[in-house]
Amino acid sequence: MSEVLQSLFVLGSSHHEAPLEVREYFALTAEQAQALQRDLRAHESIRECLVVNTCNRLEIYGLATDPNIESTIRDHLCTQRGISRELFDAHSFWHTNLDVLQHALEVSSGLESQMVGETEILGQMKNAYAVAKETNCTGTVLNRLFEKSFQAAKSARTHTGITRGQISIGNVAVDLAGRIFGKLSNSRVLLLGSGEVAEKTAQALKSRGVGDISVSSRTYENAHTLAHALGGAAIEFEDFAQQLGHFDIIICSTAAPKTILDRTNLAPAMKQRPERPCFLIDLALPRDVDRSVEKLENVYLYNLDDLSSIANENLELRRAEIEHARTILKAHAWNLWLQLRRRELMQSKRR
Amino acid sequence: MLNDIAMTDRDAFAIGALVYLGAFLFGLINLLIRKPYSRPIMFALLSGGFLLQTLALNLRGAEIKACPLGNLFEISQFIAWSLVLLYFIIGPVFHLRLLGFFTAGLAALLSETTLLVPAWDHGYTAGIFGGNPWIELHAALAIFSYGVFAIVALVSAMFLIQQHGLKKKQFKGLYQYLPSVQQLDLIAKRLLITGVTVLTAALVFGAMFWIDNPDLVPLFKLGVTCLVWIGYSIVVVLRMQKKLVTRKHAIACIALFLFALASLWPVQSARGSAPNHNLAPTASDAH
Repeated sequence: MSEVLQSLFVLGSSHHEAPLEVREYFALTAEQAQALQRDLRAHESIRECLVVNTCNRLEIYGLATDPNIESTIRDHLCTQRGISRELFDAHSFWHTNLDVLQHALEVSSGLESQMVGETEILGQMKNAYAVAKETNCTGTVLNRLFEKSFQAAKSARTHTGITRGQISIGNVAVDLAGRIFGKLSNSRVLLLGSGEVAEKTAQALKSRGVGDISVSSRTYENAHTLAHALGGAAIEFEDFAQQLGHFDIIICSTAAPKTILDRTNLAPAMKQRPERPCFLIDLALPRDVDRSVEKLENVYLYNLDDLSSIANENLELRRAEIEHARTILKAHAWNLWLQLRRRELMQSKRR
Repeated sequence: MLNDIAMTDRDAFAIGALVYLGAFLFGLINLLIRKPYSRPIMFALLSGGFLLQTLALNLRGAEIKACPLGNLFEISQFIAWSLVLLYFIIGPVFHLRLLGFFTAGLAALLSETTLLVPAWDHGYTAGIFGGNPWIELHAALAIFSYGVFAIVALVSAMFLIQQHGLKKKQFKGLYQYLPSVQQLDLIAKRLLITGVTVLTAALVFGAMFWIDNPDLVPLFKLGVTCLVWIGYSIVVVLRMQKKLVTRKHAIACIALFLFALASLWPVQSARGSAPNHNLAPTASDAH
């Protein structure tokens, strides 16, 4: 086997190895990550280098001419971050050769992500690759590795269920809205309260075509600010009950100690719109919507627990697909390994 | 050309029914393994069943030299045929997921059941409609309206399943592939109006004959036909007034279709026992 390929490595730390409070020490800004990449690439024993830096992981991929480069890189990183070598060693991993390929493929497919199958990591890896390639930190081996890992990720997603079902509260709510209304472009949304999850849910709905969003909050300024951010209108909190009949989706996230929506104010609203369903998303704790409204015809009520339970079940379904995806990626990793070895053999013959 | 086909009409009906059953099982297996079925395959299977059923109806029509609507077997086959024809029309227009699966299921049920009861395919004298083309048009329209009501019942059933899933917080399996409740409700409403319009037209054509020949139409048949028409008309009126909507509307559509379907047998029996039945073009050949 070529010596060069024996020195293909990845050094990293992620949520699998380190808890959040430890990962905070390892976290790099985009500039720090690029500086680290440049410094390592400048090292005489490192031929290629690429740093993947996300909120959950820091990984340094590289190709070294010296098989004993591990200690040098660990020291360099710990010195740069000002962290103890013992702490980093206890919460990091080191893979070489074929294991690097398998790892890269699994990361880009989202198998290694906290939310299995999430697609954000693929974009982050593509960005990291683009930056490294632009600054000439990568060469033929890492270029091939990353390009193939993006293809393999697509293949794993297509042939398994690792991306099936939504796993965030906002997207689960959007899926449910789709099952109630179909196209969301004609749906009118009312936000009661200005909680963060509610805002994200409204944004998710907006990204799926909802154009009419109104916000009502006890503090009118908060409602106005959020409405402005969402491109909607603010409603006085005292007036929302009279206007309930105009809205298809109502997202509640107030800090009210008691329920603010019940049969007494919702039943008359539903009489104004007998043919149109109403989707109530209660994200407040304590709850804003009385459970009895579920019995009203055409009313669909989902609270935080209901949405979380759907998200968790989807996540479990995705986890059940991990082994299937891993088998597909193993075949891709092995093919890539053979291609890289063949290339190295050809090049060494030419030399 | 039809004489050259080495297949009896019942063989063609049977193979067509088996193809519908195959389409239904294909959809069912895919749903059980939690995969959306391939629409082109479902479409191809339904097309195959439909072509065989069309061939069978043509063979039967060539034999009796009229539209084959003379007994319960033929009427049921014609309703299944109309149902699948309507699926080909509204499926691509409304892009209703799983409609093919439900259509295949109902078409298989209707056509298989009638094949399993040979007594329903009793013989009758050729020229049952007395050679009157208006009465044949009346019969064909009436049966076609039953096809529309069948698809309304299917869409209503899909609505109730989706609504049950949403109310009970079910999201896996069948529920995730069904269209939205609002879409299903709206389509059921439009199709119901279409069905009632077609049935009304059929009854108008039939009534023109009935006025001149009142003795030729058994009162029982006339009564049941009027009941079906009145039932559907009341549902349409209440729906337009927004008094019978969504869930209740869906239940009413399914119940009315089951009533209409169940009334076929006693009505056919009444025709069989009516005097001069071989000459009796009815005002209710859906019945």
